[in-house]
Amino acid sequence: MKCLLISSQSAEVLFHWTDPEFYQNVQAQYGASQEDGHGLPAFEDSISTLFAPIIISCITMVDRLGDSYTSFTTENNHIYVLHQFDECLYIAVNGDGEEGEGDLRRKIYVMKKMIEVMFGMVTLSSDLLRRELRPQDTEQRARLWEHLQSLLETYSHLRENDQSFLVEAVERLIHPTLCEQCIEFLERRLVQQLNSSVERAGEEVLHAFILVHTKLLAFYSSRNASTLSTSDLLALIIMSQNMYPSNTDQDDPNPEDIESTSGSGPESFYTPEPSPTDMDSRSSDMPVRESTPLFEFVDPDVQMAEDSLHTLEVPPPDPSTPRRVFLEVSLKDGLFPMMPHSMYCLPLWPGITLVLLTKIPTSAVAMSVYTFLEAFAKLEKRLNEGQEGSAATRGQPTIHDIRSKLDKFIKALGASEIKSAQLQNVWTDFKNRIGRGGPGFNRELIRSCKNMKTQLCGVYRQCFLIESGTADSPRRLSPCLQERAQTMVQDKLMDWKDFLLVKSKRNITMVSYPFSK
Amino acid sequence: MAELVLPDSRRCNYFFLYDGSKVRGESDQTREGICYFYPEETPLDRQELLCGQLAGAGRCVSELSSSPVRILNLHRNKFAIRMEDDFFWALGCSVEVPTVSVCELLDQLINLFCFYNGSVRHSYQLNSQETLASRWAQYLSHLESGSSELQHIFSCLKTIDSTNVDPLLLLKAALILQACQRCPLVLAGCILFRGRVVSTQMSPQLTMKAMVHESETYTKPQRPNGQSSSFGSAVSSTTVFLTPSELQYLQSTPVDKDFSSHSTPHKNTPLKKNRLSRTLSDTPSSTESEPSDPGSSQSPQKLLSPHLSESSVYSSDPSQSTPNPPPPQPLEPPLSNGKQSPEEESLEESYYHSFHSNGEGGSQIDNGGDSSAFGENSHLNGGGVDGACGEEFNFRVAEESHDNKVSEEVSGRGCGRVQGHEVERPDPPRSDVFEHPGESPLIPMTLYLHRVKGLVLALLVEPHFLSDKASMEEVYHSSLASLNGLEAHLRSVSPGVPGAPGPYIFAHFDCIQSTLTSNLSGRPGGAPERPFVRATSLLHSHFCNTETLQEAIIRSAGAAVYGTRSVAQETYFQQHGGSLRNSGIPNHQDSAFSLPGKARHRLLKHGVNLL
Repeated sequence: MKCLLISSQSAEVLFHWTDPEFYQNVQAQYGASQEDGHGLPAFEDSISTLFAPIIISCITMVDRLGDSYTSFTTENNHIYVLHQFDECLYIAVNGDGEEGEGDLRRKIYVMKKMIEVMFGMVTLSSDLLRRELRPQDTEQRARLWEHLQSLLETYSHLRENDQSFLVEAVERLIHPTLCEQCIEFLERRLVQQLNSSVERAGEEVLHAFILVHTKLLAFYSSRNASTLSTSDLLALIIMSQNMYPSNTDQDDPNPEDIESTSGSGPESFYTPEPSPTDMDSRSSDMPVRESTPLFEFVDPDVQMAEDSLHTLEVPPPDPSTPRRVFLEVSLKDGLFPMMPHSMYCLPLWPGITLVLLTKIPTSAVAMSVYTFLEAFAKLEKRLNEGQEGSAATRGQPTIHDIRSKLDKFIKALGASEIKSAQLQNVWTDFKNRIGRGGPGFNRELIRSCKNMKTQLCGVYRQCFLIESGTADSPRRLSPCLQERAQTMVQDKLMDWKDFLLVKSKRNITMVSYPFSK
Repeated sequence: MAELVLPDSRRCNYFFLYDGSKVRGESDQTREGICYFYPEETPLDRQELLCGQLAGAGRCVSELSSSPVRILNLHRNKFAIRMEDDFFWALGCSVEVPTVSVCELLDQLINLFCFYNGSVRHSYQLNSQETLASRWAQYLSHLESGSSELQHIFSCLKTIDSTNVDPLLLLKAALILQACQRCPLVLAGCILFRGRVVSTQMSPQLTMKAMVHESETYTKPQRPNGQSSSFGSAVSSTTVFLTPSELQYLQSTPVDKDFSSHSTPHKNTPLKKNRLSRTLSDTPSSTESEPSDPGSSQSPQKLLSPHLSESSVYSSDPSQSTPNPPPPQPLEPPLSNGKQSPEEESLEESYYHSFHSNGEGGSQIDNGGDSSAFGENSHLNGGGVDGACGEEFNFRVAEESHDNKVSEEVSGRGCGRVQGHEVERPDPPRSDVFEHPGESPLIPMTLYLHRVKGLVLALLVEPHFLSDKASMEEVYHSSLASLNGLEAHLRSVSPGVPGAPGPYIFAHFDCIQSTLTSNLSGRPGGAPERPFVRATSLLHSHFCNTETLQEAIIRSAGAAVYGTRSVAQETYFQQHGGSLRNSGIPNHQDSAFSLPGKARHRLLKHGVNLL
């Protein structure tokens, strides 16, 4: 009996994940209350109705008492953990005794981290994040939620079966000679070759690493790259495991399964749903088919054909399309969280994956946006603390410092294809306002700050979340180049692969201290 | 909105009872459902906010999980919750208080209320909200008052400091209770001195409940609704309500009223229930054969010694109870459901009268050698079933083999009893957590109190005891002299020397008797003792949450505390003056690792055996 729910302040479900038992429990409660023959409401509606009183009560408690729920425990030991990040309320539930309060809290943090890695600085604007997590288009929403659900399931699976996720640390595969050879190979041959190719479309490989299941065989970072933080690396391993799950539990995997898994797109691990029309569960007069499995992962290809009108924004399920990930970068001028990168996950053999992380050509924009966002956030904080407008603007970094930079930035945006008229307007309004004073000045300036932040996040979203480039010349390492990289490393590791797969399965700590379930 | 600033001395930040049945319609206001809210000075809108939100969210969660909410955590408060037929209780403490202690406190509070008022729903139909509010306040302040933080953590009984008291006084107290039990209308009792337990025959939970009335009458001796009798203000009584399991437990452990259980030969049953209290006449090992041999050379004085060496089960002296005897086993008497057969009653009558005829009501030790009572003694002995000590039993089996007289007397019934006895061994009602007095029918009983200055004899008696003048006089007169004597002795006991703070601190909690022994000074807010109390609180929580955990060392940069527990006890130990350089990487020479050894060694002299 497990569930994880993300809700907005208005009790709108932004994401949910349930295990089959919880799903049935919710359906049963609705089955009992819906006796007038209208059939069961859509699951999303049921879960939203059931949780709404808790969510609303939680928000009321924060508003009126300045304190809120952190957890509930029932007499039959069901645990509900609640955590609020900005305007998103996360609720994790366990009713089967497999997870404690701490485990549920970890799960919430991991979910938050995954969302940050996927949406970057858009998470800094609750309004934009809400729209991002809950797209209007139901198909698009279903696809996004399925992806997040499978990431969550991958995480839960790894936490139960992999010691490195239990303790949240990256585990290395120790074989000094081979590791050294591989690092050297990645540096001298692979990265050098990729970065000198014309087919890289402006991208630059910063990090390259080889994973054997979840363990790190070799990791190379180019000289001008910042270090990759452990939490980011763990999040990336979850993503790569989600794309190419290694069935470490099965001792003797069916070779045919492996063939099909390694060959095709990311979601193909799951059984394709033959008829996608049932996915439109919004039509309330049509009862959900009883026999429908709970978590179906719709074959993206089938989906594309039928919904091509709605899915222009959705990346095509082309395996050569990189994932956009937002990772922490520390440079000499400071720490920049959530900087855009492209992640290429290239399967070498089942269980062995090459991951490339590239810097995208426009990443400098992200850095500027972050600097501006930080300045406005600080100003807003000072204003909230009650400092006068004039005094507040004098802090570090001052608005005057960034004024000319922001002017230039907006001007540059105007020249590009990014829609920045709104940002321009809000910025002009802000500049006019800051010179003034008088009653209600602080409150209005705070609102202006919030507005600026939202607009900046909007620009960031346009730049990095929406697939850029034209269809015929996508901005990525060309498929041909990716294939070459794949082959190079395959050749290098051909003789070692069986050895590595066996070696990585030795999960020493987990074997010594088996879980008693 | 800022949180109310609360003084540290209060353990409970909030307590409320909310009646959801009063707030059903759209137009019903939340305040109509608030039966009681503590602190009472809380503004009404805040009361409504907390009651409404907590009850609403709690109901929603319990519907989702089909189970009532038990614990509700906020960032700054933790609430123990009880949900029962539209009633919603919440008791809020600071987050540092162990969850298990908060839940225990709430259960104690509700159980106390039910003990003195009967079912909650019924009480609210009979009484005004104001009257009951003052009761809740009274029970809450009773549970809050006068205890140290350590006592709060364990929710333990307040007992007299037995290290300063002559063990013979404790024995004397036990004998007084035993004597009172000769009256068939008396179920069980306890003796309290200045709000602390001297001796009790009841379970810790029940004793705790009985103590509230005592402390109340102690502060205001003339309680208007308390019944006053012809014995003057020294004696009072009040109606109380027992849960069926409490009553069953009391009835299942009679000392003398029940003849049957022992007298059948049962050689293969080495372990049997303990009695709650014992007197000389109940030492079956030595006296059983005596009816056929009145001229036995065994003198009563000799019989006293095995008795003294055993601790009585609910002795208030924890040091005597180590190693702990197995907890008393309540049993379901298949034949007697609280009523006794006429034959049995007549038997009781006879020995009761014989007891009566002794007249002086003094200690049973004196009566042991009295030949006029001797014949009856065989019956009295018969009632005692003893099994705490295996050796003793073997001895007894040997005696029984040639003792046919008693067994013939009650053979038929006895067999059935013994079988029932063997098969059914429900757990003793150690905790009231899962009892729901609001649901199960409560049985009215009477709590009889006899006060002699600071000393109080509290007895649970059948309701018609009060109308039975003879019984009342009997109990009153038989105990008066002994009570006076005991009071004089206890009063003269000098309060123990506080003692210089030793090189170590310990706390020893006896889970069966719910008593705490500690060398911690009672001073509030003793700064050096804070880490110990905090560590104890944390370890106690861990022990409660992890059934399999037996030993743990918990440490900060400045202190290391060792905790160990068994089914019957929890012990915590801290050695002062340990090296502080030990923090960081575990080191096998770390002084923390020598704590278990030190604890074992040091605590022996406090009667705590950790071996």
